[in-house]
Amino acid sequence: MEAMGELSAKLREWIEYFEEAREVRRRFANWEFIKSQPPKLRVALEYFIEVGDLYNAAKLAGMSVEEFNELRIKAGIPSVG
Amino acid sequence: MSASAVADTSFLIDWARYSRSKLLFKLFDVVFIPESVLAELRSERTLTWVAQGLEEGKLAVLPELPDASREALQLVARSRRLPVRPVDYPEAYCLVVGRELGYAVLTENGGALAVRDYDPNFASVEVLRALDILYRLWKLGHVESFRRELEVYERETKRLYTARDLAKYGDAL
Amino acid sequence: MDERKLREWVERLREAREVRRRFANWEFIKSQPPKLRIALEYFVETGDFRTAAALAGMGADEFVDFARLEAGIPLVY
Repeated sequence: MEAMGELSAKLREWIEYFEEAREVRRRFANWEFIKSQPPKLRVALEYFIEVGDLYNAAKLAGMSVEEFNELRIKAGIPSVG
Repeated sequence: MSASAVADTSFLIDWARYSRSKLLFKLFDVVFIPESVLAELRSERTLTWVAQGLEEGKLAVLPELPDASREALQLVARSRRLPVRPVDYPEAYCLVVGRELGYAVLTENGGALAVRDYDPNFASVEVLRALDILYRLWKLGHVESFRRELEVYERETKRLYTARDLAKYGDAL
Repeated sequence: MDERKLREWVERLREAREVRRRFANWEFIKSQPPKLRIALEYFVETGDFRTAAALAGMGADEFVDFARLEAGIPLVY
């Protein structure tokens, strides 16, 4: 019972951590740059801001992880979490 | 019924236009999208739908699996030797993966539908069109009227189901 | 190979082409610049959106939207 309580406390901690990370990404992102991108890249960047998932964001953009990482840096989005 | 499915381009570019597209996840826990399919998508609407699905954990990207990829290429070549519309790589990959991993294959592609019918290597694959999905949703009580929902779907996607397509669901229409 | 099924599909796809031909907005199609006109005509004849999209220089989904919404071509198989 105690172990379950500990588990859900840990889970809550992680959820909060990821939510804070998303807020940071949103706040620092260069939205002007993002909105000027073609749909494929724009959607991928927005997805990355929301989820912080480099792998799938790169897939959405049709890029390698490394290429997309360069793009998110250009877009001012910090890698958090 | 499979709890997972793999969707090709022809299915996704229709389904993403459907106003009740989230109903798909009443039938499947996860729908996989092969990388080769994702690479073909460029429109904001479809990509946004995919991004949302990834965010919600309902969609997942299926990477290239070398053995499946090899067999898909063989299927692409083989289908070109026949007098019927050939199948292209993304659909061929979906069929192979569907068979190997037991995923339902979601497609509207004539070449892929034909392969399922005439090629004994793929006879075991569950291939579903939006028509079939809507029928199952109706049977499970997620839509009120199969006929009306189909009309909505056809109107929103400009996908036309022929009398021959609809014949198997005659009683429900 | 199931020969009977194969023949059935040849017939189905032929019927699909008839449907596309009948419903397509030919006035719109003929008014398009060559690149797009050829792509749309190819799509009406074959239903092969992938090659048609490549001919038009568009993404697959972009082309399908163009074909179905602007050129009135219904999607059949």
